[in-house]
Amino acid sequence: MATATDNESESRGPLARWTQSAIQNPERVYRALFYVAMAFFLVTTLFPFYWLLVLAVTPSGRLLAGSFLPSINLFGVSTTFPLPVPKGFNPQAFITVFEQVPFHLYMLNSFALAVTTTVIVIVVASLAGYVFGRLRFPGRVFLMLGILAISYFPPAAFVIPLFQAFAGNAPITLPFTDVPLFTPPRLLNTPGSMVLPFSALFMPLSIFILTTFYGQIPDGLEDAARVEGTTRLGALFRVIMPLSAPGVATAAVLTFISVYNEYFFSSIMATSPEAARWSPIVGGILSYQTQYTTQYNLMAAASIVGVLPVVILVIVAQERIVSGLTSGALKE
Amino acid sequence: MAKLKLDHVTKRYDDQGEVVTAVDDMNLDIDHGEFICFVGPSGCGKSTTMETIAGLTIPTEGTVHIGDRDVTNLPPKDRGIAMVFQNIALFPHMDVYDNISFGLRLRDYPQDEIDRRVERAADIVQLEGMLGRMPEEMSGGQRQRVAIARAIVREPDVFLMDEPLANLDAKLKVHMRTELQRLHKELDTTIIYVTHDQEEAMTLSDRIAVLNSGSLQQIDPPLTCYNEPDNLFVAGFIGSPSMNFVEGTVEADAIETKNFSLDFDPSSAEGIGVGDSVTIGVRPEDIYPGELREEVADASALIEARTDILEPMGDEIFAYMLLGKGETSMSQEQATNDQLLMSIDPDSDIEEDEDIQVVVDRAKVHLFDTESGEAITHTLAPAWNSDGVAESEAESDD
Repeated sequence: MATATDNESESRGPLARWTQSAIQNPERVYRALFYVAMAFFLVTTLFPFYWLLVLAVTPSGRLLAGSFLPSINLFGVSTTFPLPVPKGFNPQAFITVFEQVPFHLYMLNSFALAVTTTVIVIVVASLAGYVFGRLRFPGRVFLMLGILAISYFPPAAFVIPLFQAFAGNAPITLPFTDVPLFTPPRLLNTPGSMVLPFSALFMPLSIFILTTFYGQIPDGLEDAARVEGTTRLGALFRVIMPLSAPGVATAAVLTFISVYNEYFFSSIMATSPEAARWSPIVGGILSYQTQYTTQYNLMAAASIVGVLPVVILVIVAQERIVSGLTSGALKE
Repeated sequence: MAKLKLDHVTKRYDDQGEVVTAVDDMNLDIDHGEFICFVGPSGCGKSTTMETIAGLTIPTEGTVHIGDRDVTNLPPKDRGIAMVFQNIALFPHMDVYDNISFGLRLRDYPQDEIDRRVERAADIVQLEGMLGRMPEEMSGGQRQRVAIARAIVREPDVFLMDEPLANLDAKLKVHMRTELQRLHKELDTTIIYVTHDQEEAMTLSDRIAVLNSGSLQQIDPPLTCYNEPDNLFVAGFIGSPSMNFVEGTVEADAIETKNFSLDFDPSSAEGIGVGDSVTIGVRPEDIYPGELREEVADASALIEARTDILEPMGDEIFAYMLLGKGETSMSQEQATNDQLLMSIDPDSDIEEDEDIQVVVDRAKVHLFDTESGEAITHTLAPAWNSDGVAESEAESDD
């Protein structure tokens, strides 16, 4: 029997033999596929950063002259190196970004907006998550679906009415009538005009994450906290939230990053890209572009500086986010 | 003085359009310092009753009083109660000290008072030196003790314990049971204890409240529940192994069953007449082999039976017997009518599948109305023969 198999495998071609071994040892194939996918993922995500770095350190005078792909002489054959390299070395750009434009203020704007939104979202989504995750009431599924539906709305759909409202020029009227309800305060160019729509837009995701997590905390723990002397809210903040820390961290970090990177709403709600008008990082980056010049190296340097806080945040919170997104189970 | 009073408490749930009554018109009066056990099968409403007392559930109807206060609509934290949960429910993110002091810290007690009380509670449940541990580092019994310490540290008016020993192994269970009794003596508070284990209920409580399908069947001291059950359910639930039930009909001078008859004078008990269908209840220990007939004060006539299965327990033997010439009957109803369980001395000379004769102690036979399940009498012996009853009780004590 064994010899027969040997003969058989010898008689096959290399492809057939490879297929056979792949079927018998699928782990090897999986591993290979993992490396391929990982390499692809790393290249597509990391290459833009590398390209930013190349741009940032290239002196501004040489940005538009010549190719970033150097030609090399390989044993008498002249060819182009397939990876772009900087044309010169000018780290000065990382300082110039702060000199030309108060870029730190733009970063501070983004940071403040992100933190405020995150706090609001986590508090409100916690209440919603508690209700959806732990209480049974008629219409619960309906409400959840409503939130889900709203989260699918394109943000652009809200921009014009919100801009009109936040401009504070005209009173809000009853739909289809001229009956005035109230005149909203002028919120344009203030954090309010951005934090409000951000909170609303990023709320559904956090609600869903927290609903799942809060729903998994055993009822007994909440009952115990309530008998021990907390209210339902007290139990939420003293017992349920600490036990759902991975979920809360996940929701918070996702919200923070989304707001920190947000440009669409803030570019409209801040009527010009000035730091004093709460324009965020992207507004700052675009300030390096004037009517006649575009300082690509400064824009690249500013992008790198701007992205650093998020990188640090993700590295610090990574473990929690991963465990939050993948597992979410909590044993009693 | 914390008395506890449930007044017409009813709890109904709406289960997808279907109304489920979990607790049905419950009335309870519990004195200060009493140890009350709620027993009953799963789903009988004992936990819901407990939650109603704790305030975790608001009753649909009726009121709950603790002491002189109407607490029906108060949140749990304002009721002066503490609870030990079936799943222990320690906060996993806090160490033992924080778990025990949780309620005190919420109530803003001064730090030295908290320390003093935590120490005392830890001392009572023998947890010294473990205050810094996390719950996950402890064994089941230790966690249970932490949960109890968390409850006693607040010095509540009423203690609620919802099957606190259900998740412990048998040996630990017995140990914790005695600890609980010691605790009750030491604390002198009202304890309400939910269990489905009637043995726990018998050993722990001052009074047992037997519940079935949401309504209170009987609330009495353990031995009263055992010796004078109010109805068929209590009779069958209290006592292990449970009471033998045989259906019969009242005749002029006897109760006729399918396989035997017991001498009985219908005029000696109230509310019963010739032709009524009754259910006879006999505890296994009140059935004796025929040769001991002379020793039983008020023995019945000999009953023909055939032994089926023997279960030696060490201190006694449980003998399952088939009546009616040993025809093995399959249907459940017949099985109860054709089967008797006898508990006998371990030295008895008895074999499986052996024809024997047995007698029952008529003084210990219970009669129930088959239809309503209500108890009619707890002895077939005529009232004037009370000397004999006392004597036979003394004899059957061995």
